[in-house]
Amino acid sequence: MLKLKNLDSGYDFLQVLWDVSITVEEGEFIALIGSNGAGKSTTLRTIAGLIKPTGGDILFNGKSIANKRPHIISRMGISYVSEALNLFTDMSVQENLLLGAYAVKERETQLETLEFIFGLFPRLEERKDQLAGTMSGGERKMLAIARGMMSNPKLMLVDEPSLGLQPNLTYQVFKALLKLRKQGVTILLVEQNVNATLDITDRAYILEQGKIVMSGASQEMKANEHVRNAYLGI
Amino acid sequence: MGKETSTAPKLTVNIMTRLKENIPVVVVSIFSIILFILIGIKGGAPQLLNVVVTGGMWALLATGLALVFGVMNIPHFAHGESFMIGAYVAFFVFSPLNKIFLATGSKFLIYLGPFIAIIAAGLAGSVLGVIIEKFVFAPLRHRTKDGWVMNAFLLTVGLSFILTNGTTLALGPNFRGISRYFDVPSVEIWGAFIAVDRIVAAAIALITIGILWFFLRQTKTGRAIRAVSQDEIGAQLVGINLDFIQTLTFALATAMAAISGASLLFMFQAYPTVGLTPLYFSWYVVMLVGLGNIAGAIVGGFLVALLQSGTQLFIGLSWQSVVPTVVMILVLIMAPSGIFGSEVKGVQEQ
Repeated sequence: MLKLKNLDSGYDFLQVLWDVSITVEEGEFIALIGSNGAGKSTTLRTIAGLIKPTGGDILFNGKSIANKRPHIISRMGISYVSEALNLFTDMSVQENLLLGAYAVKERETQLETLEFIFGLFPRLEERKDQLAGTMSGGERKMLAIARGMMSNPKLMLVDEPSLGLQPNLTYQVFKALLKLRKQGVTILLVEQNVNATLDITDRAYILEQGKIVMSGASQEMKANEHVRNAYLGI
Repeated sequence: MGKETSTAPKLTVNIMTRLKENIPVVVVSIFSIILFILIGIKGGAPQLLNVVVTGGMWALLATGLALVFGVMNIPHFAHGESFMIGAYVAFFVFSPLNKIFLATGSKFLIYLGPFIAIIAAGLAGSVLGVIIEKFVFAPLRHRTKDGWVMNAFLLTVGLSFILTNGTTLALGPNFRGISRYFDVPSVEIWGAFIAVDRIVAAAIALITIGILWFFLRQTKTGRAIRAVSQDEIGAQLVGINLDFIQTLTFALATAMAAISGASLLFMFQAYPTVGLTPLYFSWYVVMLVGLGNIAGAIVGGFLVALLQSGTQLFIGLSWQSVVPTVVMILVLIMAPSGIFGSEVKGVQEQ
């Protein structure tokens, strides 16, 4: 479904990603793991079109999206939940969600998805008239993920949803991702919480200094010596 | 039922805390209500209507500035030229049209003429806005975002020179104007006679602001405009076409300025530098209330008009520009981000 082929990318003259190749099949739940500054977020930002790749190609369902603009990529069915969340802070929760479905033409489909999402995150329904900027960190993450789902994406790129959250909220966010996965949404998850991530994902890639150094089934990764030393602290 | 009674006291508490948090807003509201009443007592209905006419026009112009700044981060100093173009278009549409319509003798057509002129000005304004955005700002935006605010500011100043001097070159420095749009006797309101032109101008300002407000709040595209002003990246991620929204915003702002230029043709006339006063006053409004704040710009427009009218009535006509400027300096000293204290997110993000 998504194929990064020998991708190079970075900011201005600073190259961050070197020859990164990642494959995500339909229905898979993939983790991208690495330490700070390894280039995980850069990978997602490049897929979403916020950064132009300097080399290689990105294929989505066989079509190259490497030089497409972000809104086109979003409309093609890739939804990026960024680390900064990028919520519309002066708008209500409901307005944020409806904007998530901006590219969805039919009003009925929009409302159906809204219902579905309120079912998934009852907390958001309770707060639908609250301004997004006044919500707690955990609620804002929920909202960002929910907004990302409003367009009925085929692929979701989720960037560090557990960042800055207390453990029980992290657990809730992960539970939400698993629910999504059950709905058949393909997910590429970037995380620093390696232990929990390897528990819920199918496969994982490990990124170190902008290069993919390892990949494989998540359970096998968990048993791997290098991973245990570097990321699990065992 | 039980639920309602329990929320009622909560609501008042809520309002009280919000009032405490917004002391400048409260002070300004009380001050403007007192000023409005005083102006009403001293000047009567014509002065109050004057406040609505000029206030509505400042509000229209300032909303355009606020939109352009909020959505595109452009400190727009060629906004007065949009006003000027609107005035010229209205003049060149209205004068021949009026002759033709007068010849037919049909009352309906004669009264329709001014509206056609004003709508034509609005359309011309939006076309001009699209052209400027597509050929001036879009290329710069696509090239680099470094130093955007400063570059965009300089571009607008350059545009202003080109448009003013280009107009002088093409049409000469002469004043072109009309004495009135509607050749009918003044209407009596509360014992005072008020020209129909003023009433129509006030109505057009209020209706245009109302339509804009509805558009921004209730329509999908309006919501997208607000989304871009709050978070550009977030907007792109949900599938909003940034280029389209920015062109639309610029066209809207230009059209609004052109509409105010057209509907005030009887007051200002059309000449190359007519945009200067409106430009200063609309900037004054947005600085007073906080850059990029659309709701604030509407309130601020009327506030400035109140100040102007008050100064005229109680201090003297020649102080009309002095007092508002002094107030602006005081506001900037005490509340640097404006009365309504909206943070200027855009500039810091750049």
